[in-house]
Amino acid sequence: MKILLLTIVLFFSNSISYCNENKTYEILKNLRCLVCQGQTISDSNSDFALTIKEVVNDKVKEGLSKKEIYNFLSDKYGDWILFNTPLKANSYFLWFMPYVLFILGGIFLYLVIRKSTEKTKQ
Amino acid sequence: MLGSFGIAVTTISLLLSLSLLYLSYYDLKLSSNRISKKIYKFSFLQILLTFLSFITLIMAYVISDFSLINVYENSHTTKPLFYKISGTWGNHEGSLLLWINILVLFSFLFLILDENKNKNFRLYTLIFQNILISTFLIFLLTNSNPFSLLYPVPTEGMGLNPILQDPALAIHPPLLYVGFVGSSIYFSIALAALITKVDSKSLATTIKPWVSVSWSFQTLGILVGSIWAYYELGWGGFWFWDPVENSSLMPWFLMTALLHSVLVLERRIGLYSWVIILSILTFTMSVVGTFLVRSGILNSVHTFANDPSRGLFILSFLALMVFSSIYIFFKYAPNENKNYKIFSKESFILLNNWFMIFFLAVVLIGTLYPVFLDTLTGQKISVGPPYYNFILAPFLLPLLFLMTSGPKHKWISPEKIGIFNIVLFIAVILFIIIFILIKESSILLLLILLFSTYLITQTIFDFFEKLKNKSINLSRIISHFGFGMLIFSISLNQIFSIEESFNAKVGDERSFKNYTIKFNNLETFSKNNFKSAKGYFEITDNKNSTSQNLTPEIRVYNKPETITYEASINTRLFSDSYLTMSNISSTDVFNIKFQKKPFMNFIWFSVLLISLGGILQFTRFRKKI
Repeated sequence: MKILLLTIVLFFSNSISYCNENKTYEILKNLRCLVCQGQTISDSNSDFALTIKEVVNDKVKEGLSKKEIYNFLSDKYGDWILFNTPLKANSYFLWFMPYVLFILGGIFLYLVIRKSTEKTKQ
Repeated sequence: MLGSFGIAVTTISLLLSLSLLYLSYYDLKLSSNRISKKIYKFSFLQILLTFLSFITLIMAYVISDFSLINVYENSHTTKPLFYKISGTWGNHEGSLLLWINILVLFSFLFLILDENKNKNFRLYTLIFQNILISTFLIFLLTNSNPFSLLYPVPTEGMGLNPILQDPALAIHPPLLYVGFVGSSIYFSIALAALITKVDSKSLATTIKPWVSVSWSFQTLGILVGSIWAYYELGWGGFWFWDPVENSSLMPWFLMTALLHSVLVLERRIGLYSWVIILSILTFTMSVVGTFLVRSGILNSVHTFANDPSRGLFILSFLALMVFSSIYIFFKYAPNENKNYKIFSKESFILLNNWFMIFFLAVVLIGTLYPVFLDTLTGQKISVGPPYYNFILAPFLLPLLFLMTSGPKHKWISPEKIGIFNIVLFIAVILFIIIFILIKESSILLLLILLFSTYLITQTIFDFFEKLKNKSINLSRIISHFGFGMLIFSISLNQIFSIEESFNAKVGDERSFKNYTIKFNNLETFSKNNFKSAKGYFEITDNKNSTSQNLTPEIRVYNKPETITYEASINTRLFSDSYLTMSNISSTDVFNIKFQKKPFMNFIWFSVLLISLGGILQFTRFRKKI
């Protein structure tokens, strides 16, 4: 539980610091170049990537927030374009399963160690 | 000519593997307590012929024998000799033959090196290993034959993907395969141990050197692949959490868990079944990795060769392997006495395993979840670096802490050790100095820096302790120090990286922060197998008024026709300057990307240290026998 809380705290501190960075640049790093094999828009030189770079640049200049720009792009091209997977019904498993597994693993380990120490006491 | 010869040799080595299966099985019933000479002779012939088939294929590449489809599709006469040779394993069929060669090599080494072990235990290991060898040979001959012939014989080949024509990528597959395929031997050993009811001490001593050696090679393989991605793919990163990269990392987590668990097993404290499960899982994960890469179900920057029918074969093989392992496990799994004490060394090793399995689960879910979601619902989502960084980074804190304090505890002794000591004090002081120097505001990154400083300081203390007390394990100190350095360097790399991207023509100049970049000249020239446009840039650091010249290139290869962007990198001890350029179609303007990448050398070096620890462990161990 402590770890979960810690994670949440850390997440917020993380997102605050990232806001100060170059916005356009960060957005481009989190977008998939749809016509390439696993490259980001930021790293690609394809015509598609160049177009998206223009679009994102314009949207940032218009004063849209990061979230609005991501939403705009995923409405147009689908979630496939977003490398930072949004938390939605279809990704609850993806985002929460690791924590569930970690906690289950911890409980299991605790039981194993407790059982073994009890046995040696007897 | 070479094609028919290759097929003949490979077929004979398949027959030899089958005979070895029969001979080993027959030998089980004999009363002698030594393995019969015949098995040694057959094993020797097997390794000889398997090597010969691989050498035949290399020869076909060297002399450009285009009567082989494989050579025709992946080579070209104008290619430099070095890349003709490395092209042998730069494709699916050739790399499968390399895979089989390593399976046979490990089988042979096991037979001759582990002579003092129980006879039936060794024989069963050979049987399982030869089942693997035969299956892969049958797959090679029926589905992916590198010696398949082509008629009429073409006069020229199709060439190798130019981004694969690279020294790092020539040695990357062999290194990684020794890691991947090396895990097959402890897969076989684990199953054989179950059946012959080998005791925990001899199981531990048998698999330990194999785990160390495959772990070290896996680490090196990942390192070389990462270095290649850094300078060849032109985006200045070294890890993208790409599915193919993940496939090499997943077995690594398991090997790491195994490497630690074996230590507990060796002292007869417990974990017998767990070590067996880990051994089985590691090889399974290696085959899964191969399946993911070869079947083409993943969308990846590293996907170079794929075909669904191969995927189907590997998947069936995988299912068969997993189910028979589970069957053998439940049929033979022993009841064992566990004896773990809280705050003892073995408990910390259990914690290590907890984290390794967790990391594995995260990477596995992240890699496979999009594939399953797409198959089941048709929804396509991407899972990229933000996901892994967000989930994994916080867990580095407890991991680093455990790596620092765990090794100080004693075996089977529930003694608590105070956390507050001189080492922590020094680490905190160092951290405060770093904090003042970097002015970073992310708490997570700062904490990671603090904990890695703590680990580094502790391992340095341990090293000096080691000079006085010879019994301390040096390989642990080196590997843990390497890991601390790795995390420390990556964090600083994250904090201090600079990137600037802009459009420019020849003669343009651009200033930002402390730097000025001048586009001096553009030169075009032709080489044997490519044409190139080379840009000449001068980068001035206004702070200490030094300047350096960088020359990125755009290359157009003719066979096969491909454009590559060659980064120009100037490596200094503490920081790399990284420059790429790309053309914007039908203009004379270029897109220029300049990056400052601090601590890259430290990142590479620390991974090298991690791997070195494993190699030391191996040599130390062999000396003891």
